[in-house]
Formats: sequence, C-alpha cells, structure tokens
Amino acid sequence: MSADQISQAIQNLPYFTAVRESGLAYPVLLSSHLAMIAVFGGLILLTDLRLLNVAMKSIPASEVVAKTRPWKHVGLTIMLLLGIHLGGAKFQDYYDNPYFLVKMALLVCVFIHAIVFRKSVYKNPKALDSPGGPSAAAKVAATLSLVIWVSILSCGRMIAYWDNPNNQPGKAPLLTPGQVYGRHR
Amino acid sequence: MPIPYDITQNPLNTNEWSFPLMECIHIAMFAMSIGTIAVVDFRLLGLLFKERTPAELLKATGIWTLIGLTCVLSTGMIIFTTDPLSYYYNYSFRYKLIALLVAIIFNYTIHRKVAMSNSSGGVSVMTGAVSLLLWTSVVFAGIFYAFTEELHYVGGPN
Repeated sequence: MSADQISQAIQNLPYFTAVRESGLAYPVLLSSHLAMIAVFGGLILLTDLRLLNVAMKSIPASEVVAKTRPWKHVGLTIMLLLGIHLGGAKFQDYYDNPYFLVKMALLVCVFIHAIVFRKSVYKNPKALDSPGGPSAAAKVAATLSLVIWVSILSCGRMIAYWDNPNNQPGKAPLLTPGQVYGRHR
Repeated sequence: MPIPYDITQNPLNTNEWSFPLMECIHIAMFAMSIGTIAVVDFRLLGLLFKERTPAELLKATGIWTLIGLTCVLSTGMIIFTTDPLSYYYNYSFRYKLIALLVAIIFNYTIHRKVAMSNSSGGVSVMTGAVSLLLWTSVVFAGIFYAFTEELHYVGGPN
C-alpha cells in the first residue's frame, strides 16, 4: 500500500467522510480551531512575553507560568482534536503538503521544547523570578516558543496555498502571472 | 460614481506571498488581542488568576490588547483592499464588521468598567461570557466568509 492509498483510506473513513461532506461541519471545526488559537494561543504569547520581561511585569513570571499551564493544556488538547478532524477529512491532500509536514514537525518541536526547558525554566521559580527578571535560559525558551508557534500558525495558513502539482497534470502548480493571487482561498 | 480602482493592480494581488503573509500577521495579532482580552474574561468568570483582581489583569494586559488590535485592524483593512466588493457583498463579512464594532465598544466601555470595579458575581460572569462570545463570533465570521461565496454580489452589481 502506498502512502497515497493509506491517506486515501484514512480520509475515506466514514467519520472523516461525513466531516468533509457536511456543509457546516468543516467551517465550524475550522472556525473553532481558529477561535482556540485566539483564546489559548494568546495565553502562550503572553507567557512568552512575560518571560522576555516585556509584558505583565506586575505579576511574577512563575505565577503566570503556573496559572496558565492547565488552560494551555486544555487549549492544546482541543486544538489538536479539532486539527485531527480537519486534517483527517482531507488527508489525501494534506499528507504530502510540505507546509502540513513542516507544521507537524514543529508540533513535535513543541513537545521537545517543553521537555527540554521543563526543569531549567518552567518548573524553576529561581530562573523565573530572579530580581533582574527571568534568566537567560528563560528568555531563550520564550524566544524559541514564539518562533515555533508563529511558524506553526503560518504553516497552518500556508497549507491552503500549496497546489499539489500531481493533482493537476499538465497544469502549472502555481497561478500564472496576471491572475489575481490570494482571493477566495 | 464608480471609483477607478483595479484590484488586479493591488500589490497584494500581483505576487504570491504578500496576501498569505498579511493573513499570518492578522491571525497572530488576533491571537494577541483576543488572547489578552480572554485572560481578563477568564478572571471575570472566576477561572484564571483567582488571586489577582480583574483590574490588575486589565492593567497588565491592556497595552498588549491595544497593540494587537491596532495590528489586526491594519492588516484587516489591507486584506480588505484586495477585493472590496466581494467582502462588502458577503453577509458573513457584514456580520463580522458589526460584531467587531460592538466588541470593541463593549471592550472599552462595559468590559473595562466591570473589570476596573473588581465587582464579582453575576455581573462579572455575564461580562466575561459576553466578551468571549462576541470575540469568538468575530473569528467565526472571518472563517465563514470563505464558505459563503454563493452570497457574493447578492443585490450587487453583476
């Protein structure tokens, strides 16, 4: 079985077929995915900005990290569940989409990032609350987190802009000059 | 009088990257603006930072909400110029603009007043819930725009 056949079998599972073919389910799931980015992505952004010592300076960094943690876990879980629906329903289009693949790799990086900086930063009040602001390691962790999450978000958006050349035999993979780019995606 | 404006000459429509780039900035910035408002909303709902007052959280996040809103509105207006008519004749987009206006006014009046007064109970829970619903509905309308294309130009010039 080729990767193409496997991905086809996945997206043709009755559940994913129902999601894809329902007029309302897909836009609702996609909107919810984006709404989760707004609500819970904002928590990640704020925590990173706190660790960089630019936002919420009146509240100790350790408190920001500890209090937002359970909500970030909830948000990430919902985002992943919604993402599985969105990706699964169109998996044949997604599995060889370079932006999708980079996004998945970056999601793995999120977990690696959490493991690497868990002890030294996120569960270390000394590194977070030193008088001069969060430690250098905390700032590195925050910067990496910002880069990873902004890249994930950008790759997510770019998935829609990649035209698989294999799906259009004889056609150029990208829009030809003179056509209007960007609209109606 | 028709305005002489050719969307095919808009820089966002003449190259591959500028339109998606604007969208990515738009998404990152709505995460910042709505995310920081949501922190206060969660506090009003009694779910987050319970040891801090809503006023304290509003003061700590207010500037980031403003920066986020400024960027998200700017990129939104730039995106709008790529095809003003199709946005204008889209019901989802019209709802989005009205909800956005209501959400911004709500945020800087009632939401602000309730958060600053540190009141608790029904009023603060209602305010947090309305705020979250309003902003979430703006995001939904932004996505639904792309799925309601059949409504394009209903009643508009064809």
